[in-house]
Amino acid sequence: MRYLFFIAAVLAAGFLISSPYKLQLLTFIGINTLLALGLNMLMGYAGQISLGHAAFYGLGAYTSGILTAHYHWSPWLGLAAAVVLAVAAAFFIALPLLQLSGFYLGMGTLGFGMIMFVVFRQMSLTGGDSGLVGIPGLSIGPLSLDSPRNYLFFVWAVAIISIFLCERLINSRIGRALRAIHDSERAASSMGIDTGKLKVHIFVLSAMLAAVAGFLYAHLVSFISPSSFDFLVSVRMVTMVVIGGMASVWGSLLGAAVLTILPESLTVFSEYEMIVYGLVLIVIMILLPQGLFRGVLDIYERAGSKPGNASSRCQG
Amino acid sequence: MNALEASQETPLPVVRVEGVCKSFGGIQALNDVTFDVPAGSIFSLIGPNGAGKTTLLNLVTGSFPADSGQVVFGETMLNGRKAHERVALGIARTFQNIELFGSMSVLENVLVGQHVKTRCGFLGAMARLPRTIGEEREARNRALELLDFVGLLDSASQRSTDLPFGWQRFLEIARALATGPRILLLDEPASGLNAVETASLAELLEKIRKSGVTLLLVEHDMNLVMKVSDRVLVLNHGMKLAEGSPCEVQANEAVIAAYLGRDKAGPGC
Ligand SMILES: Nc1ncnc2c1ncn2[C@@H]1O[C@H](COP(=O)(O)OP(=O)(O)OP(=O)(O)O)[C@@H](O)[C@H]1O
Ligand SMILES: [Mg+2]
Repeated sequence: MRYLFFIAAVLAAGFLISSPYKLQLLTFIGINTLLALGLNMLMGYAGQISLGHAAFYGLGAYTSGILTAHYHWSPWLGLAAAVVLAVAAAFFIALPLLQLSGFYLGMGTLGFGMIMFVVFRQMSLTGGDSGLVGIPGLSIGPLSLDSPRNYLFFVWAVAIISIFLCERLINSRIGRALRAIHDSERAASSMGIDTGKLKVHIFVLSAMLAAVAGFLYAHLVSFISPSSFDFLVSVRMVTMVVIGGMASVWGSLLGAAVLTILPESLTVFSEYEMIVYGLVLIVIMILLPQGLFRGVLDIYERAGSKPGNASSRCQG
Repeated sequence: MNALEASQETPLPVVRVEGVCKSFGGIQALNDVTFDVPAGSIFSLIGPNGAGKTTLLNLVTGSFPADSGQVVFGETMLNGRKAHERVALGIARTFQNIELFGSMSVLENVLVGQHVKTRCGFLGAMARLPRTIGEEREARNRALELLDFVGLLDSASQRSTDLPFGWQRFLEIARALATGPRILLLDEPASGLNAVETASLAELLEKIRKSGVTLLLVEHDMNLVMKVSDRVLVLNHGMKLAEGSPCEVQANEAVIAAYLGRDKAGPGC
């Protein structure tokens, strides 16, 4: 039901809006939703932080970008390569990193993000600081996705399918095990959950979603440069998750929307972006730890259940 | 007489602890402790604070390795096996300081307990095939049965940490039973319970034993221990002080001196 409503909203937006700029903005929201969703699976559900997720985003974008622009691969093979590489990289770094926890895991993933940023800047294949140009657009068979409208539909189809699958995952044996790790790792392993393995797997899944987002981004803008995948982007992803609410699949969508539209509509924002994210993180963590979405709902419900109000939600 | 006949006469103990030692820094928490937990029994571990009871449970569940000695489960050597693997073998536990999954409902806590009894993985969860749906339904039914077993059926949809304290202990037991254990390790299940709750705990322990699960009980409530136990082991400063039937232990001079005190001493057998 929610999905039907949502699909209708995307279709309506796609057909009613004609400005290419606005269509592209909506497309970026879709891409950022994938990023926030992936990170939320890791942070919100499994309770593991990553401050270097832009690395996987960049890995997806550069892998497919290089293979299509330099070697004229089909973008779909580029996508496959991007996902395989992201999965391999995630496995490789998750094995040692996820032994760490909390603060140390944050530091470790931060380091990984920095290393990948340097790689994007220094390699000749990536075009270094001046970036990688000439990334082709996408087409599905005879259907070209070059028009902003078609690309919008494609990105949102991917986003909705991803939300759908992640929601199923969360409401399953695996999702419960993830939340169990978040609540108490000791108790989780006393239930027979292989916590180390599961944390690696969810890290890999979240890296995979970031790589897919990177692929979609690269073939949309056709030009990528390292600054799109730096530390600030990792922090922006964390902020999206926190705004939308940890452990909230649909909240990811809200967080992505807010942090895509805000920098676009407030140009002064860009200068102070880092400061704003810092403040937002602090304020939300203190005042609305459930995220903006749930937090506002809670306040609303609390206001609605003041004494004398018949719709009190207090439990007997 | 061959080995097979011997094992038929005396069934293998469920858990055999042989000469385990464990120290934390300078503290010798366990010093050469050896005992057998007979199948189908309620075996209690008592002793003063800091005697090493919880440490012993942790060694059996695999929270950390022993410095020396070994733990055998049935015929399986447990040394080197990780905690989650031991659960799959049939060792379940509860915690001295309750550790429920606070973000989940009562029912979901028991569902997590069935992790090793169910199979569905990442792809299965996303595809949600009939097999997965069937498995989920069975898990739910089993969880409800277990909640009924411990008397928490009416609270199934409540958030686990909203339960009254005593009920949280019962939920932890249900959750541990959900793993389908052969032995259940309980770390002070009666602590924080009132008299009525303690009485129903005693009943529950008997019911669990009747269902075929062996119990290894760590407990300070001597009335409960003496009432339900088949065998009692007394630890003091990490060493075995005495072992025997409840009344033997209650009459043991060393145990009275180190732990029980005169007022709780029993008449002997
Ligand atoms: N993880 C640990 N790290 C360091 N020291 C520990 C650890 N676990 C236990 N100890 C120490 O080992 C000794 C035995 O502790 P243990 O918790 O096993 O006692 P206990 O018999 O369960 O006591 P209580 O009745 O108070 O629960 C204590 O001195 C304790 O401080
Ligand atoms: Mg203890």
